[in-house]
Amino acid sequence: MKKKINSMVVVALMMTAGCSSKSVVTPVAPPPPPAPAPVAVAPVAPAEPSGYGFDKWQRGPLGDVFFEFDSAQLSTDAQEQLKQNGSWLEGNSAKGALIEGHCDARGTSEYNLALGERRANVAKDYLVRLGVPSSRLQTVSYGEECPFTTDQNEEAWAKNRRAHFVVK
Amino acid sequence: MQVFRTVISAFVFLFCALIFSSPHLLARESGEYIAIRKAGSGKIALVFSKPDAKGQTESGVAQELDTIIREGVDFTGAFTMISPPLNLKDQPENKSATLNFGALNSVGAEVYTGGKVEVNSGNISLDMEVYDTAAARSLFRKTYTGSREQLRSIGHRFCADLLELLTGKKSVFGSKIVFVSNKTGFKEIYECDFDGQRVEQLTNSRSISLTPALSPDGRYLAYTDFTSGRPALNIRNLTDKKTLLVSKNGVCIDPGWRNSSEVATTFSADGSQDIYLIKTDGTVSQRVTTTKGIDVSPSFSPDGSKMAFVSSRNGKPQIFIQDLKSGQAKRLTFNGPYNTQPSWSPAGDKIAYSTMEKSGEINIFVVNADGSGLIKLTQRSGENESPSWSPDGSMIVFTSSRQGTKKLFVMSSTGEHQRRLLQIDGDQMQPSWSLFRE
Repeated sequence: MKKKINSMVVVALMMTAGCSSKSVVTPVAPPPPPAPAPVAVAPVAPAEPSGYGFDKWQRGPLGDVFFEFDSAQLSTDAQEQLKQNGSWLEGNSAKGALIEGHCDARGTSEYNLALGERRANVAKDYLVRLGVPSSRLQTVSYGEECPFTTDQNEEAWAKNRRAHFVVK
Repeated sequence: MQVFRTVISAFVFLFCALIFSSPHLLARESGEYIAIRKAGSGKIALVFSKPDAKGQTESGVAQELDTIIREGVDFTGAFTMISPPLNLKDQPENKSATLNFGALNSVGAEVYTGGKVEVNSGNISLDMEVYDTAAARSLFRKTYTGSREQLRSIGHRFCADLLELLTGKKSVFGSKIVFVSNKTGFKEIYECDFDGQRVEQLTNSRSISLTPALSPDGRYLAYTDFTSGRPALNIRNLTDKKTLLVSKNGVCIDPGWRNSSEVATTFSADGSQDIYLIKTDGTVSQRVTTTKGIDVSPSFSPDGSKMAFVSSRNGKPQIFIQDLKSGQAKRLTFNGPYNTQPSWSPAGDKIAYSTMEKSGEINIFVVNADGSGLIKLTQRSGENESPSWSPDGSMIVFTSSRQGTKKLFVMSSTGEHQRRLLQIDGDQMQPSWSLFRE
């Protein structure tokens, strides 16, 4: 069991190192917690708009927004989350955000890099229309390279199709 | 073919190899041979004898060359290998004895090849001769030389000549495959020989490196990585090892070479992902696409006049072909809602690509460049992606998850003989086969 936990941590660290170190070292983020109990990861429904996102090290105030397969269109829930994110940014005008566009592992990697960018851009454009200055918002696409979870099922894919916010 | 062989093999031919001393391919004979073979079909029935050797050193070298040549010709899938008949030589104790073509024909051989190895102060000399067994005559003779370290190259140079002699086309020997592996925990770019041997790690950026592509002349390697914080294009000069980073606002991804001085890539500086042609110094020479959707994954016809690419201009990703001069684009794929990763064949007639099917499987298809003649090459074997043609068009390298994680596989251009290319740790993906041969 111990060994399994260790290997999970190693895999998680490797993924993080290759992907978004920024989401690990956000100003408000505590250091990565010790190995979580592997069985205790309760699945969070992507539809919940309350959120802090699904990145286990992301303790920022900006929630992720989620997309349908092969889509960069904002659902009602996604728009609701962006409004919450927008009002936080309005009240914290010294802060900006890096918006990461992500895709699930289905489809092909090259196309997903472009799709991830469209997801990040559509989230950014929505915030700009809400009045957040575009100079405070940056975007980057990670395509399918940095999944939140490497599980391969509908629930995992739904969590991976996201625009993830990192406070800057 | 059978009649021809039967008639010929009714005679006993005495044959002296020494008559043929020309090191060059006997074009007339080879042309005739290819013409005769076209009447027949499929694989060439080959008898290959381990090269003769006198001393102990020579015997060791001959043994190694035997393995290299045997594995080399086997890799091409062009041959059926037949064991040499015991009475191959009329006088087995005499190394220069006459070949027994009657015996070769009776075991079903169409072609026989053998030769001898000599080693002089470390220099290896391999003298090989190829015979048409039905006609009982030599088609080709050549001597290959090199050092002990070049044994693989010596063997493969012979294999390349053998293939060209018998098929009239250049082969896979000497070509390279670049690919991505996460073996170290990071996605880095690697290179290996056409047969998966001699794996070498080319990048060590500890970032995410993707979509490698070698220029047709082999002087440049283009790939995408995240070292600048966003996906940017790298163009590495493989001669002086200097790497040019092409980074713009938005993405710079998924390069495909048009020729050895121009590479196409997707930029999104104006918010839409479009394909541009850039020179090896990083300057833009032409914007190729202008639609609002995603345009990625350029792959060019051999003459560089047309470009196959993926576009979501109609909603879902489909493959289109654009004429660079007129700018006209025509949709190529209609099977299902998700067709990506086009690879244009070196002969220019076909395009391989991957389709995401309703079942969730991803499979590789090949279609004629005019959209006709669609065939499916993989099925019921997980996700099969990223097809890339060998420089002679005889094979396709691709990624498959059929054994669990993603690994590199090769198959014939019609989907036969699918097998693993590499045995290394981690996932491997995005293979790209070079057009050049060493």
